[in-house]
Amino acid sequence: MAAAGTPAVDGATVGLGLRIRGLRKWYGDTRALDGLDLDARPGEILGVAGPNGAGKSTLIKILAGEAREDGGTIELDGAVWRPVLDRDRVAVVHQEPQLFPNLSVAENLMVGREGTRGLVRDLDAQERSLMVDLAILEYANRPLGSVPLAIQQRVEIGRALARDARVFLFDEPNSALTPDESTDLFRRIHLLAEAGKVVLLVSHRIAELAQHADRVALILDGLCTTALDGEALTQEGIAAGLVTGQATRESEEQIVVHLGEDAGVALRLADWTHGTGEFHGIDLHVRAGEIIAIVGVEGSGARELVRSIAGFERGTGHIEVAGRVGRSAVTSGTSLVSADRQMSLFSNLSIGDNMVSRLSTEITAGGGALRRGRMLQIAHQLRGQFRVIATSVHLPIRSLSGGNQQKVAIAAAIVKRPEVLVLEEPTRGVDVGSKREIYRLMREYASEGHAVIIYCTEVPEVFEAADLAYVVSDGRLSDPLIVINYADVEALARAVTRLERHSLESAALP
Amino acid sequence: MTQNNTRTPPAPLVASGSAGERWSGRALAAGIRVGGLLIAILIVIVVFTLLSKPNTFLTITNMLGVMRSMSTIAIVALGLTLVIVVGEIDLSFGYMYGLASILIGVSWIVWGWPIYLSILLAFAAATAVGSINSFLVTVLKIPSFIVTLGTGQLVFGTTLLVSNTATLNPAYPPVGKVVPQAQVDWFFGLSNQSLPLGIPMQAFWMAGVAVVIGFILSRSLFGFRLKAIGGNPVAAELARLPILKYKFAAFILCSLLASLAAMLDFAFIGSVQPNAGVSLLFPVFAAVIIGGASLAGGRGTAIGTLSGALLLAIIANGLALLSAGSYLSNFVLGGVTIAAVVLDRFTQSLRK
Repeated sequence: MAAAGTPAVDGATVGLGLRIRGLRKWYGDTRALDGLDLDARPGEILGVAGPNGAGKSTLIKILAGEAREDGGTIELDGAVWRPVLDRDRVAVVHQEPQLFPNLSVAENLMVGREGTRGLVRDLDAQERSLMVDLAILEYANRPLGSVPLAIQQRVEIGRALARDARVFLFDEPNSALTPDESTDLFRRIHLLAEAGKVVLLVSHRIAELAQHADRVALILDGLCTTALDGEALTQEGIAAGLVTGQATRESEEQIVVHLGEDAGVALRLADWTHGTGEFHGIDLHVRAGEIIAIVGVEGSGARELVRSIAGFERGTGHIEVAGRVGRSAVTSGTSLVSADRQMSLFSNLSIGDNMVSRLSTEITAGGGALRRGRMLQIAHQLRGQFRVIATSVHLPIRSLSGGNQQKVAIAAAIVKRPEVLVLEEPTRGVDVGSKREIYRLMREYASEGHAVIIYCTEVPEVFEAADLAYVVSDGRLSDPLIVINYADVEALARAVTRLERHSLESAALP
Repeated sequence: MTQNNTRTPPAPLVASGSAGERWSGRALAAGIRVGGLLIAILIVIVVFTLLSKPNTFLTITNMLGVMRSMSTIAIVALGLTLVIVVGEIDLSFGYMYGLASILIGVSWIVWGWPIYLSILLAFAAATAVGSINSFLVTVLKIPSFIVTLGTGQLVFGTTLLVSNTATLNPAYPPVGKVVPQAQVDWFFGLSNQSLPLGIPMQAFWMAGVAVVIGFILSRSLFGFRLKAIGGNPVAAELARLPILKYKFAAFILCSLLASLAAMLDFAFIGSVQPNAGVSLLFPVFAAVIIGGASLAGGRGTAIGTLSGALLLAIIANGLALLSAGSYLSNFVLGGVTIAAVVLDRFTQSLRK
């Protein structure tokens, strides 16, 4: 974007860039960042990778000025910078732009800098040339909400350039873009770096990090553990680095008790295709007693596939749950727990009431009267079985920690005894202890003769919890990986990465 | 657990509570709310007793009058509570009240229908209006505020059309029509039985409705799920709760109770006019809100709404006895409503 009214400058001479030292952040008792050090030099694209819950999103929030750090320093070009107090220096481009959908593209570019006269002004020369550079001038008078996402993101970039922002933070920017739009976006990201801006690219997509970043910082457990560059910066290197030290199989959970070949097929999909094309022609069968993981980044179609199994995304083709076909087989035979606890729990109900919220005849007597005693009995039993740490099941659900809330959400789904239990990222934002518990509960439920399907974005979770893993890439399902065949999580991570890349390349061939 | 668990579950980490566990969390919060309301009611009673002339306010006759005057608002508000709990809003109940009374009046007095059929007609109309409201809200996904703002006017228009904007009284039927005296006696008897201690008949109806709605909200699966749906519609969908059916039920019950209140008022007053019910909007909403229901959904009790209606009725009655003038009672009723919500916010933040 050197042409945006400012003379092009050599990246190396522009300043010192971003220097983060000892950054700390706590959420209640949970440590999100534990003294993180990170350097981002002007003129380079710094990739940032890390599993969910490692502190990546906290770092983004702090740099975006949306959260206040609890300790540490951030310097920008040698001077102390407090993002909370000075947000104008940073631009964050999310997957969903944070703009005003009801205003026009031009108004979005001007808002906040309209001038003091209170009159609506026209675009000035600088803004006009910016819009030409970004190829958004033709959209100037269209409402922002009506233009494609890729254009909206360019407006977001334009807004930042117009206020002369220094730091550009791209947070999974292309997960909802088409391949062509992605290519264009990355071209612009490279241009920003060449203009001497400090550019951070946060992504789950290892292939893109390896391709576009000059260096990749790995964030694990609230620390920046490694920065890969030069020779070390390969997809395998990133994948292995992300899972190092994570995931150990516990001996008793390691032994997979298959119910044998004669175990019933709990779920069968044939030529299963998404209503709006996120996945196509999926064939899959899952036996009772198995835990299978569907792996894929956002936008790959994996999440949609998993939700469609429970009937919460429209799919066409053949679906069979426990030998029965049709809508009623899906609604009576499956239960879904969403990744976001806000979407699986009732904040106005108590812990116990949440646990029994999916039951009906089990908790009612004649005339639709609730059997409060029975509800309490079930809740107490579940609290014991799921080891929910709560002094009383009458307390509000919000009084529980994230891990315990998740256990309640899963308990509420399991108590309905579905043939196929579907869990989206079952341990997102959950502490290590609760993670173990949740894996134990999944295993226990599977071994009682049910199928458990989990949607995973993280290889360690697959390694610890699943029997089989399928990788979804570009809406296609890979052959299964038999998890027990991989000696360590790095080996599994490499296999998963290979499958993701393989399908990307084969899709690109024709 | 639909299946019997043969395995013994691991012992709970924390001993299962019994008596001590029953009063905590939500139940306690609701208890505090109703307790606070009762204290407010007592304070208001003391204030009016001191301010009013001796033996006018705190007398049995006057308090029975308060009970009668609160009953209309309470019955309609109990119906609205269901809609509010499920996370929707109904602005059409006042017009439904008007339509129900006019339908009874016109079909009975002008068309010469037997009273029983006329009452049935009113309730059928209420079911229809409730169904239309919930159809537009659940199937066409239009916000209930807009839906009921619109259907309210449609209902009001129907009322004016059917009534020909006339006031109706069975004692003065149109020329050539006769209303059988037996039917008049039976109908007026719905609200005018002489009961022991002079307790007004409508207070009994109110108590009956309160018991039913109270059972629904706190003791039935229907109410439990209404709260869940109102508390988190997305989670309710993922849990496969019957959202559509329950919203239909809530809207229909709200319209039916507005019609019941209309019928009882007609029977008490002895005549109807088309714009009856139009002024119900504020006091009914105020009763529900003062009663602690959350407009965001998921929260509301019958006892709370009943107490809200009682507080409003006492204030209105006390101000009338003091000849306070209408502007002052508007000030007080508006202020009390806002104060109730402010206090609620305050106590909620204290709990946190």
